Amino acid sequence: MTGAARLRAGALPALAVVLVSAVLAVQLANGGGRYSPLRPASSCVARSVSSVATGIDGLTEQLVLTGLDAAACQIGVSREAFALQLAQPGTHTDAQINALRTGLLTAVDTLKADGKLPRASQLAREAVDASNLSSFRKAAIRAIPDALIDRTLTTDDVLRRTINDLDLRALLANLGNRHDLTTQVDTAVMKAVLERLTDDLHCC
Amino acid sequence: MSRAAAALLALTVGCVLADSAVVTLALPEILERLHTTVGQVAWVLIAFNLVLAVVARPAAWFYRRRDPAVLCAAGIAVFAGASALCAVAGSLEVLIAARSVQAVGGAFAVVGSLQLLVEGLTERRGTAWWIAAGVFGTAVGPMAGGLLTDAFSWRSIFIVQVPIAVLAVPAALAKRRRNGQGLADETPKHRVRIQPNIALALLSAALSAALFLFVLLLVDGWRRSPAVAAVTVSVIPLAALLARPLVRMLRSGPMAQTTSGCLLIAGGLTGLALLPSADLAWTIAPQALVGLGLGLTLDPLTLQAMDGRTPHFLHGGWTIAARHAGVVLGLAILTPVFTADLQRAQPPAKDAITALVLNAPLAPQDKIAIARGLADRLKQDSGRVPDLNPAFEQLRVPAAEQPAAAQLERNLDLQLKRAATHAFRNAFLIGAALALAALLSLIPVRRRGVR
Repeated sequence: MTGAARLRAGALPALAVVLVSAVLAVQLANGGGRYSPLRPASSCVARSVSSVATGIDGLTEQLVLTGLDAAACQIGVSREAFALQLAQPGTHTDAQINALRTGLLTAVDTLKADGKLPRASQLAREAVDASNLSSFRKAAIRAIPDALIDRTLTTDDVLRRTINDLDLRALLANLGNRHDLTTQVDTAVMKAVLERLTDDLHCC
Repeated sequence: MSRAAAALLALTVGCVLADSAVVTLALPEILERLHTTVGQVAWVLIAFNLVLAVVARPAAWFYRRRDPAVLCAAGIAVFAGASALCAVAGSLEVLIAARSVQAVGGAFAVVGSLQLLVEGLTERRGTAWWIAAGVFGTAVGPMAGGLLTDAFSWRSIFIVQVPIAVLAVPAALAKRRRNGQGLADETPKHRVRIQPNIALALLSAALSAALFLFVLLLVDGWRRSPAVAAVTVSVIPLAALLARPLVRMLRSGPMAQTTSGCLLIAGGLTGLALLPSADLAWTIAPQALVGLGLGLTLDPLTLQAMDGRTPHFLHGGWTIAARHAGVVLGLAILTPVFTADLQRAQPPAKDAITALVLNAPLAPQDKIAIARGLADRLKQDSGRVPDLNPAFEQLRVPAAEQPAAAQLERNLDLQLKRAATHAFRNAFLIGAALALAALLSLIPVRRRGVR
């Protein structure tokens, strides 16, 4: 084979190699090979959470998001995987419920440390408005000055009582029904407020 | 033979070989209309290619004993009848059975058309027409199927084939022999060339990856319409057209063409496995590599397998069997790989979707409503890439939250595209490996002489 013939024979394969290399190089330089779904962040690494909702709704969301992280970290999965486990219909294991409760209690500490908890009076007033208490009892509680409530109650204490008292299995079952969910949470908050006030009245 | 008759026979060859992949873009619609699964619907393709591969060589045996014109006309008529049956099939079972009959008719039609074209034109011109029609059908099939599906329905793919085949029947019968005999002793019998046929089989397996998987990615993974997918995959036949001028310009020999073609197909499939995003623009260059590779390989390899070999119908039958066995091999290897990868892609996709919903700047009750809607869609579209749009269509959010909801929908859609693209990666890489295996199969084996 002459030099020219050899050159001719090699020209097309050489062009093919150049074309393939160029296409693959451009693709890899632009993220080719890394185009895959986002990986969830580690549930054990602290992240800031926020909510567009205000009042008890916003506080609940922040507590739940922070609590899910803490619970997921405890059982060694991502927050998203744990949320999907909880969203499954049917019964939830004691381990899942205990992890969720512990996570929510940890979230109260975290939000308190971050200064994100509202004043107790603000929480109590909103819970009273949304509760199904009688008008007389609502009026009686509304008559208590904010300063007195804030001196008597602490938000973290109310929240811990609420979380310990909440039927988390029922709460998960109510996720699809906004009315039932709100009623359950508000009633639990209201109950915690009243129990705390009653404890103070008994002790003093 | 008149040019019109030759053109009709070549068109029939194109139709039969296009049928190998013509329904690829219609598969998602067939899947939905006939209420089946991805694994089952793949049999609409597999059955046709498998039967064609199995019947092509035995069909050549009949041509030794019977008048080729009559056999070819009968094959075309069966192909036409089965195409009509495919068009009216009401269940997947009927469709697969009709596709199998279509392949039997198609095998006789393709093998017979080669013989009639060679007899009616010259050996070289007849073979060239036959090869060109096959390459054209293979390259254009998916695009034509996609456009027809989008414009009418998947049934129209089969309806349009009926008149073409019906017109080709008299064209074949016009070449009837007076004695009505077969071709048993008319020509010397040459041995089959193994290497080009193996390379054809492996390349067809790789190309089935390019066409079948890529259109599934476009339609099912990226939610593009069949028309958009058809226009997108048109890059492959357009690039294939560049092969001939390029070969003329560089004056390359057949070995250089096939070597380069295999490299380009392997490179193009690797490119499709490493897409940087779901933007259609990124698919153009890898597809162009595949198309150019297709143009550089199929033509010279088929010619290598058949050139100077007689009887033509026998060697034509072998190339058809090799190509379609390759398509079946490709589908058999790749379908379980990508369906398993699609299943495996679901947990990370669900995690990504959950993260986006949890972090979305929406009211908690709206997040819960979206999550429930998404869960329903994921359940409904189990085993497929879900369509999340209905979950948002049913959502009623305050006007202030609508931009955030729309952004969330876009972000979720992006995650699904990422998951689907990632799920197809291994299958494309296996396709690339098949193309490289075709290249290896072409390396001449030197036999050591005994000293």
